[in-house]
Amino acid sequence: MNSLTSQQRKLVYLGGILLLLIPIIYFGLPSGGKKTADGQTQSSGGRLAQLRQQYDLGESNLGDVDPSSVTMNLVLLGLRGIAVNQLWIQMDAAKDKKDWTSMLEATQSIVKLQPHFEKVWDFNGWNLAWNTSVEWDAVPDRYYWVKEGGKFMLQGVGRNEKSTELRFRAATIYQKKIGIADESIYFRKYFRVDPDTERWKNGPDTDFNTGPEGPYQAEGKDNYLVASDWYQAAVDNEQRWKIPLKQGTLDRTAFHSLPARCLFDYAQGLQKDGQFGEITREAWANALDSWINKFGREELFSVFGANAIPVKFVLEANEEEIAAMASTPEQEAMIRNAIDSFQKIVNYRYWRTRGMAEAEPETAQAHREFFEAGEAYKQQKWRDALPLVESAMKGFESMLARYPDLRIEDNTIEEAMLAVLMWNNIYKLEILGEGESLPQEFPLRTLWQENQGRMPEIEREFRLRYLTQAGQ
Amino acid sequence: MNFDLPAVNLPYAITQWAGFFLGFLIVVGIVSLLTSLSVYGTRGVAALAGGVVQGIIDLFSLSPRRLSALASLTFKEAVRRKALLVFVVFAVLFMFAGWFLTGGVETQKDFQAKVYISFALRTMTWLLLPLILLLSCWGIPEDIRQRSLHTVVTKPARRLEVVLGRMIGFGMIGTLILAVMGAVGYIWIIRQVPASEQHQLICRDPLFGKLEFLDREGGKGLGVNVGDRLDFRSFIEGATKARAIWTIENVNESILHSNNCFQLESRFEAFRTHKGDFKRTTYFQYTLANPDNPAINVPLSLIKIDEFRNNANFVTVGPTIQLADAEGKPLSNAAPPAEANKDFFKDLVSKDGKIQVQVACIDPGQYVGMSRVDFFFRKPDKPFAVGYAKSLIGIESLLLLVVFLGVAASTFVKGPVATFLTACIILVGMFGQGFMDELIKAPEIGGFTGGGVFESVYRIVTHMNPTTELPAGPAFFIMQWVDYLLKLYLWSVRYYIPNCEHFMRMPEFVANGFDVLWAESLLPAMLVTLGFFIPCVFIGYFSLQSRELESK
Repeated sequence: MNSLTSQQRKLVYLGGILLLLIPIIYFGLPSGGKKTADGQTQSSGGRLAQLRQQYDLGESNLGDVDPSSVTMNLVLLGLRGIAVNQLWIQMDAAKDKKDWTSMLEATQSIVKLQPHFEKVWDFNGWNLAWNTSVEWDAVPDRYYWVKEGGKFMLQGVGRNEKSTELRFRAATIYQKKIGIADESIYFRKYFRVDPDTERWKNGPDTDFNTGPEGPYQAEGKDNYLVASDWYQAAVDNEQRWKIPLKQGTLDRTAFHSLPARCLFDYAQGLQKDGQFGEITREAWANALDSWINKFGREELFSVFGANAIPVKFVLEANEEEIAAMASTPEQEAMIRNAIDSFQKIVNYRYWRTRGMAEAEPETAQAHREFFEAGEAYKQQKWRDALPLVESAMKGFESMLARYPDLRIEDNTIEEAMLAVLMWNNIYKLEILGEGESLPQEFPLRTLWQENQGRMPEIEREFRLRYLTQAGQ
Repeated sequence: MNFDLPAVNLPYAITQWAGFFLGFLIVVGIVSLLTSLSVYGTRGVAALAGGVVQGIIDLFSLSPRRLSALASLTFKEAVRRKALLVFVVFAVLFMFAGWFLTGGVETQKDFQAKVYISFALRTMTWLLLPLILLLSCWGIPEDIRQRSLHTVVTKPARRLEVVLGRMIGFGMIGTLILAVMGAVGYIWIIRQVPASEQHQLICRDPLFGKLEFLDREGGKGLGVNVGDRLDFRSFIEGATKARAIWTIENVNESILHSNNCFQLESRFEAFRTHKGDFKRTTYFQYTLANPDNPAINVPLSLIKIDEFRNNANFVTVGPTIQLADAEGKPLSNAAPPAEANKDFFKDLVSKDGKIQVQVACIDPGQYVGMSRVDFFFRKPDKPFAVGYAKSLIGIESLLLLVVFLGVAASTFVKGPVATFLTACIILVGMFGQGFMDELIKAPEIGGFTGGGVFESVYRIVTHMNPTTELPAGPAFFIMQWVDYLLKLYLWSVRYYIPNCEHFMRMPEFVANGFDVLWAESLLPAMLVTLGFFIPCVFIGYFSLQSRELESK
C-alpha cells in the first residue's frame, strides 16, 4: 500500500511541515509590537498583523493588554459567550442577594472576557458607584463603593484607549456622584482625605484621585477639577479619533462645555464648603476664562433645514465675526440662530454673567458674609448673624443691579431668598417686641415679593441647612 | 450568610428514598420482564428470576480481597492514564491566581479571605470533577474495547465486584488527589491572606433559632418587604412595636467563651426611608427574654449596625447582664438598669433550654432587615481547618457521586455517551433543581402562571395574558391534561436527579467563616451520595451482567 520507507515518510512529513510554515509565516507572523521613538513598530509582522495594525484591531491597539484577560479568552476557546452569559447571571444573582464580594468577583471576570465592550464597563462601573454604594448604611462604606466604581471605569479607560464614552462616564462619577450626591459634603472631604487613613496616610486614594495623565501630587485635587480633567480628556479623545458620540451621551456642544462647566462647579463647591477668600474668587475667574475664552471660542457646527446645510460657529462670536463667518445673508441668519440655540442648550449666557458677577470681590464678600451669618445662626447667635446677613443682602442686591439677568436664575434666587428668610427669622426671634412688625424697607425686597410662590421649597431648604443635624 | 438551608428530616428523607427506589425497582422489573419475555419467550420469567437470584448470591459472595485487587488495579490504571497530571494544572492555576483575584479593582480588606477560600475550593471542585467524570465513564468501556475485561471476568471475580472495584478505585484516586490539593490549598490560603486579615480565617459555630415577627402594632406579622427582589430578609420599622423574635433552643453552658460571656452575632441590614443624619448609622437593640414568661427580660444597650458585616457582641451572664468587651468587662460605664440584675441561665433560659431574643430598630422612620440566619449565639470558634476539612468532605461526596453515576452509566453505554449522560445529570442537579422546583410548584404557592408547555405555547402564540381564563372546549381540556401529565413526569424525574445544591453550598459556609452545618449541609450531601450508591451499583451490576462483552 505504501512503498515509502519510514525514513522517507518522515522526510515527506518534514517537507509538508516546511511547506505549511510558508503561509503560516506569511499570514500569521506577529508584529514586533513595541513602537520606536518615531512611532513605528519594530517589525510589521505577517499579513494579518499588518491588517490588524492598519485597522487598529490588535489587542494592544485597543488599550492596555491584560495578560489574565487574554489567557482566559484563549483557554475558553469558543465558549466565551456561554461563560460570559453565566457570569452575568451570577453577577445579577449576587446583586439580588446583596453578596457584594461575589458580585465584584463576577464583575471582574466579566470584563476579563469582554475587555473591549464599552457598555460592559459602563454598566458595571455605574452599578458599583451608584447602585451598590447606596445599599450601604455607613458613609465611608458608601464612598468605598463609589471609589470602586470610579476605579473600575478608569480600568476600562486603560483597556480602551479610543473610548470617549468611558472617559465621559468616569468624569461623571467625579462630578455627579462625588459632587452632587446627598452625601457630597462627606464624599468631597473623603476625596481629599480618604477614610482609610491608615492606608492612604491622611491623604487621597491616589488610585482614584487621579487624572488622565496619571496620579496628581500627593495631596490630590478637588473632585470637580479631576472631573474637568477627565471631561477634557474625553473631548480631546473625541476630537482625536473622530468617533461620533454614542446616542444618549450628550449633545456634542453640551459635551464640549463640560470641562469648563466643572470649573464653575468647583467654584460653587468652594463656596458651599465655606471658602470665600481669593481662592474662590480666582476659581470663578478661571472658570469664566475657560468658559468664554476656551469653550466660547471653540468652533462648533450644526446642520440646518431639510438639506442639512452645515453651519460653523463660535458661541462667543461678536457681530464682526458673525459677518465674517457668513457668506450670504441666509447663512448669517443660520449662524445667529445656531449661536442662540446652542447658547440656550448650555445655558451659556447665564454662566457667563454668573462668572462675571462672582469673580468680583464684592460678590465674594457677600457670599462670605452670608455663610458666616449661617454659621452664627446655627449656633443661635442671632445678634452676630444679623449684621452679617444684612450686609450680605445688600451685596446680593448690588450684584443683581449690576447683573439683572441673574434675577431669574434659580441658584441666585434661592440664596437671596434664604438670606431674607434668615433676616426675617432673626428679627422675629430676637429684635421685634410684641406687636412690632418687620421693617417695610429692606434689601432684596422686590425679589422677595416676586418669589413668594417659591416659599415652601425655600423654607424646606432653610430647615435642612440651618435647623437640622444634616446641616451641621 | 446569604442563604438559609433547612435541616434534613432524616426519617422523611429515608422514607422518600425508599419509596422512589421501590418505584424504580418496579419499573426496572417490568421492563426487564417484558424484555426477557420478548427474547426468551415463556422462559423469560425463569431467566429473570435466575438473574435476580444470581444477583443476591453475588451480593453475599463479595470478597474483600478480590474487591481490593480490582480497586487497586483501577487505581494503577488511572495513574497510568496520567490522571495525576491534574496537579500540574492545579499548581499553575494557584501560581497565577493572583492575576485573576486582584485585577485592578480590590476587594474590601474585610472580605479578602472570602475570595481566596472560594477560589481555592472552587478550583479544586472544577478541576477534579471533569477528571473523575472522564476516568469513571471511560474505564469499563475501554476495558471492554481492549478486551482487558475478559481477563478479569474469566477469573473468579464476579461482575458485582467489577462494578464495586471500579467505584472504589476511582473513589480512591479522587480522594488521594483531593487530599493533596486540599493540603496545598490550605497552605496557599494561609499564605495568601495578609497577616493583618488572618483573623478572617475562622470557623464560627453558630446556634441558630426560629424567627418570628411582630408588626408595628405589636401583633403577629411577617416583617416588611422594602422592595428587594429576593424576599430573603424581612424588615422591622424603627421606634414602633415591630420586633424580630428569635427563639433559640439548646442554650446551655457550651455557649460560654473563655471570658465567661456568651456572644451574640448578627448581620442585619439597614434601610432608610429618609436620609436623616448621614453620619449616624442606624441602631438596633437586643432584649433577652424568658420564652415561658417574656415579662422577665433584659434589654441590652443600643448597637450600631455595621451593614453587611457581622456584628459580634459579648454579653455577661450575671449577676448583671450587659454588653461586655473581649475580656468580659462591661462596655458601658453607666450604671445598668435594675432589670439587668439577673442571672442569664437561671432567670432567662427556660427549663427546657430555650431563650427568646427580641430585636428592635431604634430610629424612627428607618428599618432593620433580617433573615433567620442573620442572628445566632456564637459558640467558641473552631479552628479554620475544621470547616475547611468538612468542605473537602463535601467535595469528596460530590466526586463519589460522579464516580457512582459514571461507572453505572459506563456499564450500558459507551464512554462518550456515559460522559455526556453523567455530566448532564450532575449539571442539572447543580443548576437546574431550582428551575424544576419552580416548574412543579402550583401557581397558588408562587409557581409560574400561564400553564404548562402546551398552554404556554398557545398563550404566547395567541398573545393571551396568563390571567385570562382559557376558553372551554375539548382541545383545551386535552391540552391541560397533557400539561398535567408532563408536570407529573417532571415531578417524578426531579427526584431521580441528585440535588447537588448541598455540595455547592459547602464552600460558601467556609468562605463566610462558618462551620459547615451538619444537619443542613453535610449530612444531606452525604445522604445524596449514599442514596445514589445503591441504585448505581444495582444498575451497574445488572447492565454488566446482561451485557454481551464481545460487543465493543
